[in-house]
Order: sequence, then structure tokens, then C-alpha cells
Amino acid sequence: MTAISHQLLETAVNRIPEDALTPARKVALAQFSKLGFPTIRDENWKYTNLSRAIELSNTWLKNGKTSSLETKLTATTEQAIKEITESVDAHWIVIANGNATCSTLSVAKSLKSCGVDITKLSNDGMNTAIIADDHMTSFNVALLQDGLRVKVNPSTKISKPLGFIFIDEARCNGLSQARLIIDVEADAKISIIEAHVSVGSTAQFANTVIQLRIADNACVDFVRIQERADGHIHVGKLITDLQRGTSFNYVNFDFGGSLIRNDVFINIMAPDASVNLHGLYLATANQHIDNHTQIEHSVGPSQSREEYRGILNDSSRCVFNGKVIVHKGADGTDAEQSNHNLLLSEKAEIDTKPELEIYADDVKCAHGATVGQLDQSALFYLCSRGLDREEAVQFLTRAFAARILATVPIATIRSYVDQTMSRHLDTLVNSDTQ
Amino acid sequence: MLEIDNLNTTIGDTEILKGLSLSVNAGEVHAIMGPNGSGKSTLSQVIAGHDDYIVTSGSVYYNGKNLLELAPEERAREGVFLGFQYPVEIPGVNNAYLLKAAINAKRRHKGLNEVDAFEFLQLAREKMEALDMDPSFLNRGVNEGFSGGEKKRNEIFQMTMLEPHLAILDETDSGLDIDALQAVAKGINAMRNPKRAIVVITHYQRLLDYVEPDFVHVLSEGRIVRSGDKTLARQLEEKGYDWIRGMADA
Repeated sequence: MTAISHQLLETAVNRIPEDALTPARKVALAQFSKLGFPTIRDENWKYTNLSRAIELSNTWLKNGKTSSLETKLTATTEQAIKEITESVDAHWIVIANGNATCSTLSVAKSLKSCGVDITKLSNDGMNTAIIADDHMTSFNVALLQDGLRVKVNPSTKISKPLGFIFIDEARCNGLSQARLIIDVEADAKISIIEAHVSVGSTAQFANTVIQLRIADNACVDFVRIQERADGHIHVGKLITDLQRGTSFNYVNFDFGGSLIRNDVFINIMAPDASVNLHGLYLATANQHIDNHTQIEHSVGPSQSREEYRGILNDSSRCVFNGKVIVHKGADGTDAEQSNHNLLLSEKAEIDTKPELEIYADDVKCAHGATVGQLDQSALFYLCSRGLDREEAVQFLTRAFAARILATVPIATIRSYVDQTMSRHLDTLVNSDTQ
Repeated sequence: MLEIDNLNTTIGDTEILKGLSLSVNAGEVHAIMGPNGSGKSTLSQVIAGHDDYIVTSGSVYYNGKNLLELAPEERAREGVFLGFQYPVEIPGVNNAYLLKAAINAKRRHKGLNEVDAFEFLQLAREKMEALDMDPSFLNRGVNEGFSGGEKKRNEIFQMTMLEPHLAILDETDSGLDIDALQAVAKGINAMRNPKRAIVVITHYQRLLDYVEPDFVHVLSEGRIVRSGDKTLARQLEEKGYDWIRGMADA
């Protein structure tokens, strides 16, 4: 098994100029030195092997560069960013090579008047702990150049979404750490877009952590769309705390990348919270997409609805592991979870595991998973109307995926997601090598 | 238009059609009647091109073309239409979307431009009205949550939109109440013209009260055992299928 070079890692951490994050980096480094990268012996990582990510990390530690707020992006990077910023109306902030770019300053300025404060983690007062409690979150903090804190002030309501574009450039040699800490104060209402795009197809490893706190009666709509190039590895974690009367609607789309791992942790910490969690993954060729979700109902009453869907072709492999934990005393919990998969190739593999742990008495919980092929009688029906097989397959796969598309809570990004999805579905359907 | 000669087919290890021959000309309406298990549905599925059925011998020619060599979608584009006995529910695939794709597939095949969205909608509304269908059906999933009668009406609606040369209607009358039966019959009769052939497959004589066939064939144990005019259907209704069981052995 490939191992990370701890000596190189320590040198790299010490090379980062001293700032407010320095103590956190040191603690995280010590923590990561104990933990190392997860291996397939870890229950949570048994299907997802990070060897290639470790190789990329070692290469970067030897001669990697970083970029900062002052770094100017290349023209091709700007072009790649425009693909989404010109289609979707949002307050866009670009995180390139793990770091916020200079355009952030002007966006931050205009958002300030709307009730949103955006500051750099490297010079703020650290009033929220930077979470570094496992392998990848401590690796993230140890090498974190900087991150952003987004504070949405109480009762702030902005209709235009706040969008974050994550992109990595080849000149930075393939490893990036990004961290966002988003605090949504009481009674605020905001939409957030997390978009991962690519420029070029050099192998890269991006490790992203987002901490989201939603205070009393606040509402957050969140769409994540990942359309990275082949050869990209992305490990992402979203940690969300929900307070009283909150509403959190999250939809995740994974279309690209070679190895993708998402962890979504949601902790319902006060009564009357409502969570909608949806996801769609499209995988073909040798893509590997792993979704781990965990919803903790710490108190009741509260409601969670979760549905992930996947379409797999060729030799792709996907993992769904969804855990719902209803803690002792969390009476009045109402939780539903499901995972549905469509396998278009005999070589494709899905490992699905919906898990329900219930320690409370008065709860309503349901879960289930399905794995199936395209309905042959529906295919014949469509062909008998004149559609060729390929078109019929597209109709059926699109219908399967449309269920998740329909849950997108942010209207301005729906048609962009739709177009991106259709493009990837076309590629996926046509890559059938059987 | 349709020439079936000594057709033999199997599904799995079971022989279904055993030397079936049938000739259908443009402008004619044929009714094929027969008891359950006689091979009525197999015949329709084979003509539409379902690959579960294996043709072991015999031939099917359609307008001089070997139909058995064409894929199901090619048959449809050449003007063959099958009204399914059990129309499939396809949740998430919009009715209008499917119909437009089907019409365009046919038009492309003929070298024509794609249908204009406005004209398509107008035509669809007209045809639906004629069949007493709620126009909101257009925006629902294909047969999704439709009642039995609604599904059959939808098949007829698709037929009227696609304007096939050869329509095979597989037990379109089964499970219909009298209003639905009349609406369906009206739809079929409106399709009759000198260039089009319609084959109505049915278990009962009921539909034939409204759609008058030029020829009636009785199918038993995989082949046509008797052919005649519309009076044959009445005879069958009176005497029951036991009457023809003897004929198959003869």
C-alpha cells in the first residue's frame, strides 16, 4: 500500500507562512500523522482505495505550488469558469487550487450590503472551530493555505444564490485543500451552489471540506454539481448542524471525475428541523463514485427524506452508504431513505447499504434499496413506436434521473443541471461496450 | 400489403404458431379471433418484432419487404403499428414527448423535416377530443397511472397520430366499458381508408358490432382454421370456441 511521506508533509506544513491558522495546522498535522490516509481496512472506506490520491499527494509535497488571492488565473481557466457563470445567475466566488481568488474581494464587497460577510480564515478570530476529526479533514487543515468564512446575518434573505466554483489548475501540480465555513444565522434564507469544474485533464486530487451551521428557523437550499474531468480525484465532506425549526434542502449531482468520494454529515440538534437530501450519480468507463451520508436525529420531532439514484455503465463502480441514526429520546422522528440504481452493463457494480439505527421509541422510519436493469418491455414499447434503441434507452434513463432533477430547489440552476445531465447521459448511454 | 406464409414460431421451448398463413390487402379490415392461447398475441408481437419470439420457418412480407429482417423501430417507421394488449407504463416519459419523437423518427425516415411544435400540439388536441380524452394526458407519463380503458384509448390515440399503413390492434377491446368501446371503435373507423389495412385481434365479437370487418379469421392452435366474412364472427359468438376446436385437429 502506498503511504504518504510524513517527512515531506511536515516540511510542507512548516513552509506555509505563519498566520491565524498556524496552530490549527499543527494540531491537524499531529492528528493526521497518527491517522494517515484511510485504507480499505477501514469500514467506511472498504470499497474506495485512495492509493492514487496518496501518489498525487506525494508528488505535490515534493515540488507542488500553491496559489493565493493574488494569483491570476490562466485564460483557459477563466474560460472554464465562464461556462457556468454565464449560464447560472449567482454571486460567484472562485476557489482555484484550494484558494479564493481575487474576484472574491469584489463579490464580498457587494454581498456585505446584502447581509453576508465573507472573510479569510487566515485573519479572522476563529470563532468557529475548524473541524479536523478524521483522516481527510485533518489532512485538509494541515495543508490548508486559507479558507473562507461566510456569515449570513440574522434575517438575511437573498434570492440570488451564493455560488462557489472549485477548479484546479495543472500548474499547481495536482493537490488542493479547500475549506468553507458557512454560518447561517437565525431566520435567514439563502441558496448555495457548490460547483466543481475542470480545466484540462491532468490528474489532480482535491480535498474539500464545508462546514455549515444553520441557526434557528433559517432555511438553506443547497445544490452541489460535480463535473470534473477524467483523471480527477475528489474527496469532499459536508458537515451540517441544524438548529430549531430549520429547513435544509440538499441535492448532489456527480457527473465527472475518476474517483469521487462524498461524505455528507447532517446533525439535527434541535426539534422541528426538516431535511431533504437527494443525489444522482452517473458513472461510466472506470469511474468510481462513493456517496456516504449520515443523518443524525439527535432530538425530535424532526423529518428527513433521502433519495439517491445512480445510473452505471461499462466498468464503473459506485457505492451508496446511507446511515440514519435516531438517538435515544428523539421521539417524533420521521425518516425515509432510499437508493435506486440502474445498471446498464454486466461489468458495472454498485455496493449499496442503507442503514437505520433506532434508539428512540416513537419513530416512523423506512428505508430501501433497489438495483435493476432497464425495463425490456418498456424498451420494446418505445422501439415499436419508431424510436431506435439508443433513443429509447435515453428516454428511460432520463426518466429515471429526472426524479432527482425535479428536486433541485434552486430555480436558476435547474436548466444548467438539466443540460449537463443530458450531455453526460448521452455519453454514458453511448459508452455501452456490451 | 401483408403476406404471411407458413409461419412457425417458438418462445423458449414452446411452439406457438404452427404454419400460419394470412394475406391482407390495403383498404381491408381483418378480424382475427380465437380462444386464449391460440397464438393471437404471438402473431402481433412477431409482426412488431419482439425478440422473445423466434421464427423457425416461414416468411412475413410487408409491401414487398421482408419484415423479419427489420428491427422493431424500422418496422414502425415503415408504417407498421401495434396497439398493445397490455400497454406498458413508463413513468417519467412524457406522452407528448414520446409521440413527438415517434412522429419525428418516422418523418426523418421519409426525409421530411421535424414536426412543428405548435402544429403537433394542435393536431394532438384535435385527435384527443375525437377520442374523448382529457388533453392533460399529453403531459403525463406514458400510461402512468392510467386505467385499463385509458391505456387502450391512448393506444388508439397514438395510432391516429402516427397514421400507420398497417395497424395491428391486439385485444384493444378487452377491459373496456361500453363508452370506451364506442370511442375506440370510432377511432378505428376514422382510420379506415383505401390505403390502410387494419388487423383487429379480439377474443369477442363485441367490437365487431362497431368495427365491421371485411374478413374474419379463426385462429386455433397456432394456425388459421377458418376464414370468412363478418357472419363467421356471429357464428362463433353463438356456437362458442368449442365449435372450432374440432377444426384444428381435422
